[in-house]
Amino acid sequence: MPTQPTDDEHGQPTEPVSRSAAGVRAGAHARGGQPEAAAEVAPSPSPSPPAPAGMRTGAHARGSQRDIAAPAEPAAPAAPAAPAAATTAPPAPASSGPAASSFGSVQHGHDPEAVRARLAAMPRPSADDPRVLLDRTSDADLFEPIPPYPTRTEREAEFYSLGDGEMFLNVGPQHPATHGVLRLVLKLSGEQVVDVDPVIGYLHRGVEKICENSDYYHVIDQVDPLEYISSLFQEWAAVLTFEKLMDVQVPRRAEYIRVLTSELLRIASHSLYMGFLALDLGGITPILYGFIERDEIVEMLASVTGARMLFNYFRIGGVNGDLNHEFMSRLGDWMSRAAKETEANATLLNENEIFVRRARGVGVLDRETALRMGVTGGNLRASGVAFDVRRAHPYSVYPELQFNVPTRDEGDSLARYLIRVDEVRESIRIIDQCLHNMPDGPIMAKLPRLLRPRPGRAWGAVEGPRGMMGVYAISDGSDQPFRFRIHDPSLLNLETVPLLLPGNLLADTMAIVSSLDPVMGGVDK
Amino acid sequence: MDRSLRRHLELRLATHLRGPVRQYPDQTEIRIEAGSLVEVLRTLHDDPGLRFEILADLAGVDTGKVMQVVYHLWSERTPDWLRVIVDGLSRDDPRVPSATFLWIGAEWLEREAYDMFGIVFEGNRDLRRILMPADYTSFPLRKDFYLPDDAARSPGAGTRHVERPHAPAVVADDPNAGIRRAPVS
Repeated sequence: MPTQPTDDEHGQPTEPVSRSAAGVRAGAHARGGQPEAAAEVAPSPSPSPPAPAGMRTGAHARGSQRDIAAPAEPAAPAAPAAPAAATTAPPAPASSGPAASSFGSVQHGHDPEAVRARLAAMPRPSADDPRVLLDRTSDADLFEPIPPYPTRTEREAEFYSLGDGEMFLNVGPQHPATHGVLRLVLKLSGEQVVDVDPVIGYLHRGVEKICENSDYYHVIDQVDPLEYISSLFQEWAAVLTFEKLMDVQVPRRAEYIRVLTSELLRIASHSLYMGFLALDLGGITPILYGFIERDEIVEMLASVTGARMLFNYFRIGGVNGDLNHEFMSRLGDWMSRAAKETEANATLLNENEIFVRRARGVGVLDRETALRMGVTGGNLRASGVAFDVRRAHPYSVYPELQFNVPTRDEGDSLARYLIRVDEVRESIRIIDQCLHNMPDGPIMAKLPRLLRPRPGRAWGAVEGPRGMMGVYAISDGSDQPFRFRIHDPSLLNLETVPLLLPGNLLADTMAIVSSLDPVMGGVDK
Repeated sequence: MDRSLRRHLELRLATHLRGPVRQYPDQTEIRIEAGSLVEVLRTLHDDPGLRFEILADLAGVDTGKVMQVVYHLWSERTPDWLRVIVDGLSRDDPRVPSATFLWIGAEWLEREAYDMFGIVFEGNRDLRRILMPADYTSFPLRKDFYLPDDAARSPGAGTRHVERPHAPAVVADDPNAGIRRAPVS
């Protein structure tokens, strides 16, 4: 129903701020063709009691179904006898159009039993079904993201109470700018963000549980889809931990191949990062170049691993296949112009005034806060801490390779972007050294078909494109890990969002989130 | 394996350690009880000889008998990862003080451990479910939560090693058998 009659009935106009989202839609419905429906609402003798909390909730994903069904229930037996009930579910006239009559509308004089049966047989519409809007008593609550349960924690109570002139805005989980299924509940004052409550878990698969119920070899392909953009790193963390658990000595050639392939993938991941960051600031071009770069690299890796995204390439004790001619020729071809092309791609943004102005000084994360937040990777180095697992706790053959750990002190979105640019340059250097120093020899250690490590514990971490990826594994002597804990940097990077957003404009929200580079596959596990 | 770290830990944390300091090739491990966690973490973080500034990970563990919370720390003073195991939490009511007084970022890690194991972190101001739905009632990474998958229920369960669960197969006709519904506080 349109908002207007409801407001008149209660004798109080809706406050302007909370209307701003729903008001547009209210107008749309009024035009949608049932102004007479308002007249049919029986004037109740007393103001209708406020709806219970469960019914007033809005588009909260998990509460919505209950919500939609609610208005129909009191309406069914109500019709002639109790006019007060009509305010909760106003009867729509038969002429109000096919949409309204097909969902939940009750006509006078009908058999309540038949109506109930018809309602029960009807498929329950989803929250984004446009017909749902027509059966609302008020659409002021449509996009209220208040969860359908009493607040449980101090922080939640603080967040879900609105101050003067504030409103909630629900972004995601299905939103093109949220980098996957991230849902942000924003508390806005005008156009300024006051507070954020990120809601995650939409992509949760229970990978840790799956890994604890699968063989040591099977774990590798289970962890692949976590960071689907750069899956070799998560494989590496798992494989590294298992090798510590079993005291496996990995052949040097295998280590070099691991470094070579994963550094290539780091460049691919950073190319996408730069593109998406620009995309969220309104620039289309860099993402196209980013995808060109990434496509060349994943095609190259596909020729050696057999897959473009979920490689399943690293093995406990080595890698799955040796470098082949196709890979080497593609790599040589790419390396001959990589440095020049990445510089050109970076110039596209570095010298773009709009990009620099919108990224500089936005979302500043200072050194102390970054350390206390547990942020790692480029986001931490952009805040002035030279923590790179490749140097801080060297693994594989990184001690033999020469590269710098770039740091910056500003800690803003621009610094986080520039760190990635520098890392691409360092990665090209590392790849170059790998090609020159690549030793001959086997690519796999000799291991039994069925691995049963001795009971024990191990922690291994590698430096992924987004930060430290760690795995904590416990063996109980069987062929499955007893506990397999995955530490993903994206979770902690995303956790800083509530610290960085307040005070910024709504338009900068996604620019800040994407400068932190979360990958929801890893966040949700 | 950093011998000096071991000496330092034994010196500073002598009263809190439960069991010897264990050392692995690149990891050092200490075991403490929940009561001394705040003191231990503060010492590890602030002591000028230790300076464990980065909380690398916080993981819950269900050993089947007790619960554990495992912290991994990094310091530039030592080449080792430090593993702090808070041992001996009761499975019925596991409670640990929160680490958010040192690392705010532990808030979500603790929420995750709560979500998966039901471990209550006292002092965490936002201890609610994070990955599972809000109305979920069990704790899926506990060892008494079995995966009711087809393989475990099939007549051939256990004949192939990958299909054998850690615990006995669940009853065939009830898909929810074996899932312990833990009370939510």
